[in-house]
Amino acid sequence: MHILLVEDDEPLALSLASAMRTRGWRADVSGRGEPVAASLLKDDYDALVLDIGLPGIDGLETLRRIRAQGSFLPVLMLTARDTVEDRVTGLEDGADDYLVKPFAISELLARIRALVRRHEFRRGESIALAALRFDAGARRAYIGERPIRLSARECIVLQYLLLKTGQIVPRDQFAALIPGWDAATSDNALELLMSRLRAKIEPGGVRLRTVRGLGYLLEPIAPA
Amino acid sequence: MSGPARSGSSSLRRVLLVWLLLPLIGLVPLTALLVYGLALRPALDALDHALTDTAVALAQIIVIDQGRATLPLSEQTARALRADLIDETAFAVGDPQGRPLGGNAALLALAPSVPAGQWQFFDATLEGRPVHAAAHGHPCGEPAQICTIVVAETLGKQAAAKRAALLGALVGAAAIALPLVGLATFAVGRALRPLRRAAADVESLTPQRLEPVDARGVPREIAAFVHALNGLLARLRLAASAQRAFVSDAAHQLRTPLAVMRVEAAEALTAHHAPEVHASLERLHAAAERGSHLAQQLLTLARAEGMSLDPSMPMRPLDLESLAASVANRWLQPSLDAGQDLGFDLEPAPIDGYATLLEELLGNLIHNAIEYAGAGTRVTVRTRSTAGRAVLSVEDDGPGVDAQEVDELWQRFRRGRDARGSGSGLGLAIVADIARLHGATATLGPGESGRGLRVSVSFALAGTGDRRAS
Repeated sequence: MHILLVEDDEPLALSLASAMRTRGWRADVSGRGEPVAASLLKDDYDALVLDIGLPGIDGLETLRRIRAQGSFLPVLMLTARDTVEDRVTGLEDGADDYLVKPFAISELLARIRALVRRHEFRRGESIALAALRFDAGARRAYIGERPIRLSARECIVLQYLLLKTGQIVPRDQFAALIPGWDAATSDNALELLMSRLRAKIEPGGVRLRTVRGLGYLLEPIAPA
Repeated sequence: MSGPARSGSSSLRRVLLVWLLLPLIGLVPLTALLVYGLALRPALDALDHALTDTAVALAQIIVIDQGRATLPLSEQTARALRADLIDETAFAVGDPQGRPLGGNAALLALAPSVPAGQWQFFDATLEGRPVHAAAHGHPCGEPAQICTIVVAETLGKQAAAKRAALLGALVGAAAIALPLVGLATFAVGRALRPLRRAAADVESLTPQRLEPVDARGVPREIAAFVHALNGLLARLRLAASAQRAFVSDAAHQLRTPLAVMRVEAAEALTAHHAPEVHASLERLHAAAERGSHLAQQLLTLARAEGMSLDPSMPMRPLDLESLAASVANRWLQPSLDAGQDLGFDLEPAPIDGYATLLEELLGNLIHNAIEYAGAGTRVTVRTRSTAGRAVLSVEDDGPGVDAQEVDELWQRFRRGRDARGSGSGLGLAIVADIARLHGATATLGPGESGRGLRVSVSFALAGTGDRRAS
């Protein structure tokens, strides 16, 4: 994983970079927004972590510039402000996600992983979570090198859960996802499907949680 | 608002009324007396004239024969002279020696001696009844001789005249006094009304809402005071917003160093470290988490106050159901880490509100449950719409809070007596503040099963009236 981290607060930038490097990621740090566009052309990054409050051109302007030069790189915005305006502006200008300071490092890393996974999936690559791997093109799942047998519905559900790793997926979203299911399909049927899927994928070091009354959540067993 | 004028303090209204109405108390009876006198005098004069007419008629009947006066009065004439519809009348004529020539001898005895050609009026009692009488000295016979003629009548007509005059005086006085009192009271009330309205405006101000008092329609004398007050309010507003800006700014500034502390403490805990520093690192990590939460809460409080003052940020329609679902992601992991089962029981509950503040409100309720309910408990977030209200509640089946602690819990910086967690106690105060800003009511009590704690916030459903708190 190769991350470009743009953060003007030096201690925070060093902390984050060091936490990423501990996990075997490569992290380049920039204190300003101006050189970012050029850096992206020069190096191949997996994601950009961009602070909004930068000296010179701010994070939002930096984001506009790199999107204007045609980059689809996943971007996670950091902000010290969490008013509605900041959120809306950031996401409208092409940020994929945002995080409000002060965040937990595990949260930041999980968000970056999720962004990268989604981005790779869009490029037709396989998605991996712990030992679980899903080949989007072939619609096949593996734990390590061992393939696991999934029904068509389980495939759709797993793919969606992998895209939303770490986020709660509401029940009604599954109903919309699965052909032949609708809002009238009972929660019991969905729970049955989930428990079968759970038995198949949890040996891969992931956990498929039921969030009481709301939906389901797929996460690695040992995050960060 | 309690009475504006307490005992010992002066009332503008009272001073004005006293100075306007005190002269009336003296002048109105005086006027009445004057009217009474003026109306009565002619009536009494007319009555006296009637008496003198009878006396003059009697004088015509006196005959002087060889120096002796006689009164050749027939019974018919006497009756004619005494005729009266209302009063009983009597007359008497005496010769120069005081001997009665005719009429009522007892009346003659009452009469004073009157010089010739003169009249004298007097009151007396005749046969046990009060009478008014006229006595006349009538020259008879020799130049020095004087006959006395007396005519008397009871007081019926006189009393009637007095009653009529009194009635006139009273009606006249009332006709002056009543409109004056009414007008004075009305005028004073009307003149002071802008002052009362301004006072009510000032009374309705709160530290969160320091709007200027409306000076339109306020009289010049009071307007100066209202303008001075508005000047003070403007300075207060400025000071309050400067303070809010300071708190908000300080909290923002804290965020980045706090982020560093959180990251470093978490990293140090996961890295290899000497066992003797482990406890220190854990405490450092917990302190960084708590500091982060506290900074977030201070920001929320500052923003809640700011939003309530900023008309450019109106409330927007939203659904508590989707709002609750959206905060689920953020709170699931902390709840799992605390060994709790965080669940949701959501139904549509549309309201108008500030989404960021409501997310903060719900976050604080869930955080509260994480801090105080303890491991192994079920925490349930619920949204409902019933009977015109949209209710958001967070319930746990933990140890709960005893009744006397409930009120204290709402106080800023107060914590449950057996508080274990890292909460600063700001949480419920923030919930109360944000609820108040939305015109919602927050209640705190045991959970459905009678155990644990449930905090409910009840909003007006969207489209059911004004939700903006005053």
